[in-house]
Amino acid sequence: MFDSSGGSVKQIVVESVSHTYRPARGREVLALEDVSLEIAPREFVALLGPSGCGKSTLLYLIGGFLPVEKGAIRIEGAPVGAPGPDRGIVFQHFALFPWKSVRANVRYGLEKMGLPREEQERRAQSYIEMVGLKGFEDSYPSALSGGMKQRAALARTLAVDPKMLLMDEPFGALDAQTRSLMQAELLAIWQRSPTTVIFVTHDVQEAVLLSQRVAVMSARPGKVKAIVDVKLDRSDPHIYRSPEFAAKVDEIWNLVREEAIKAQ
Amino acid sequence: MRYLPLLLCALIWEGIVQLGLVSRDVLPSLSDVLKAAWMLAREGDLWTNGVASLYRGGMGLLLAIVVGAVLGVLMAWWRAVDAFVGPLVEALYPMPKSALIPVTVLWLGFGDGSKILLIFLGCMLPVTLAAYNGARSSEQALVWSARSLGAGRLRVLWDVVAPSALPELLNGVRTALALAFVLLVSSELIVARKGLGYLIGFLGEGGVYDAMFAVVLVVAFLGFFADRLYLAGTRRLLAWRE
Amino acid sequence: MARMTLRLAPWISILALAAAWELFASSGAVTPFMLPKLSVVLERIGADAASGDLWQNLGLTLYRALLGFTVSAFAGILLGFAVTQNRFARWALDPLVSVGFPMPKIAFLPIITLWLGFHDLSKISMVVFDAVFPVITATIAATAGVERQLLWSARNLGARPGELLREVVFPAALPQIMTGLQVALPIALIVGIVAEMKMGGAGLGGAMITASRFADSPGVFAGIVEIALAGYLLVKLMALARRRLLAWHPEAMAPATV
Repeated sequence: MFDSSGGSVKQIVVESVSHTYRPARGREVLALEDVSLEIAPREFVALLGPSGCGKSTLLYLIGGFLPVEKGAIRIEGAPVGAPGPDRGIVFQHFALFPWKSVRANVRYGLEKMGLPREEQERRAQSYIEMVGLKGFEDSYPSALSGGMKQRAALARTLAVDPKMLLMDEPFGALDAQTRSLMQAELLAIWQRSPTTVIFVTHDVQEAVLLSQRVAVMSARPGKVKAIVDVKLDRSDPHIYRSPEFAAKVDEIWNLVREEAIKAQ
Repeated sequence: MRYLPLLLCALIWEGIVQLGLVSRDVLPSLSDVLKAAWMLAREGDLWTNGVASLYRGGMGLLLAIVVGAVLGVLMAWWRAVDAFVGPLVEALYPMPKSALIPVTVLWLGFGDGSKILLIFLGCMLPVTLAAYNGARSSEQALVWSARSLGAGRLRVLWDVVAPSALPELLNGVRTALALAFVLLVSSELIVARKGLGYLIGFLGEGGVYDAMFAVVLVVAFLGFFADRLYLAGTRRLLAWRE
Repeated sequence: MARMTLRLAPWISILALAAAWELFASSGAVTPFMLPKLSVVLERIGADAASGDLWQNLGLTLYRALLGFTVSAFAGILLGFAVTQNRFARWALDPLVSVGFPMPKIAFLPIITLWLGFHDLSKISMVVFDAVFPVITATIAATAGVERQLLWSARNLGARPGELLREVVFPAALPQIMTGLQVALPIALIVGIVAEMKMGGAGLGGAMITASRFADSPGVFAGIVEIALAGYLLVKLMALARRRLLAWHPEAMAPATV
């Protein structure tokens, strides 16, 4: 495979990774089995599968939140290390610091980077405005709606200029209308400044709408069942109605359906 | 085993005294304390005083639970009662209940009566508050369902509100139980002629420290076991919750 | 008109109680010894205030109880953190805390006076011994309950593992820790008063017990009113502090339902 510059450098390489959860009480659970995947720079890849298939687990392994016990994960050639701002993460339930205002949340990563104060404020402000939260800089998360919280979380993660975005069902906790709006906004942001995105979801339409490649995962223990290319004209505002879109959704849904049934 | 550190503490206690690291006048050895406890039990002092204490504590707590629970549910059910009694409860809650010790003695002297009154007054508040919160939290949907099925106000109170209030109420009673022990021991330490608290003071003044330590531990563990028994007992009652 | 009565309502009950007290005490149904008139009690409080006795006693009682409370707060939070962060601390402290919590620790007062004498140190120690437990259990529950994703987000944004305790765990745990502190404060007062009553001397507890020994019933009732007011003010202050510190909390955002 080749990236946009013609070279064959993969940014993220997942090689035969397996992961077992060992809870303090209860039995061990094999969440991922022998998963391999390669992601090029600035690619938008969806991890799609039924609940429990381990897609979030894979995300957490790439993010460095869980240790890689079997197999290997390499980021730009080097083995994956502890969590850090190069792999920005966005969670389903926002994980905003409730005791900090929106501004303070967005500034957190910038403080950790050691930027001078004025630079922190400038960058924080620009990202807050970019996600459409101008005027809410001093609000606390508990005063914000779900959609606004997710925008704040996105601004916080983007502000540290990560090399890639790890998104764990980021719109799952939002109502259908907000979710639609957020999907469009994410797409717009990505098209303006493309960055690598690994997007975990169980929603086939969302995966087809947003990503260039969809990795379909099997039910637990998770394996990569298939990788489907999605080449669509995303500038089309009526993309949902296009036959190509429907066909793609169908194709992928057929792959997912039997896994979803197994996961019941 | 979860309680291993306690066993180690006991061994360390015995060790430091036997090795002479701490004077026996200040810390009797664990073995001496246990021997003294045995003697007190055999001679009957432990029982007579223990029964006196438990009688006082039990009566006071029982009264507090009955009156407190009824009052709390009434407050939740009738706005008028709530509006009037509510502010009093809120104002009296922060008062340290031990401040009532002198006045109960003034009224009823050094005997059982003052202790029972003290525990009744002191423990009523947590029970009332718990019953109130529990009754108020009974789901509106449940109440409406009952009413639509033809239940009168009193029936709803009995069939829906009281059971919903139960978990919170039981929690409040647990607090009251611990408070009852504290108030009982406190008043017996200061103004009593019998009872376990009195016995501790009496032995202390007499310099019989191993026996004093023994009764302290008996009282402390009584409180602990009462709480554990209570939890075990109420777990059955709350089985339907999950 | 209805709204006005709703706001006045708390005061109405208290005034009604006060009026009932005064009337009942004046009626002759009880002796002045059993229930002195409220006016007599208030006069006594005024006299004590003028002579300085009130301030000295109240000051001492509050000093001991609040110092003990402060020590319990710091010690309790530190020990609670230790239990969640350190395996050995958890193994050693968990049984001690769970066994000690329901015990009437006031029973240990004679042991404390045996070891530490009859001065402030033993009174304060007794308070600490009692008040530290709710703080420890609240801190343990609070820190154990901090969401994993908050910690992960912080690390993701560049926080070092050593910074997490101060920057994420503590603020996230603060609401529940404050609740523990709000439980510990009344305990500190109750225990402080008992210790004073047992040991005698200066302080409201000592003054009240002396009054009861001298059959000075206005003195006893004055003490009750004084400590009730002090307790009420302290609890209100803590509630205010909670609202300030936790202005960001959802409970502060939601309108209070009547």
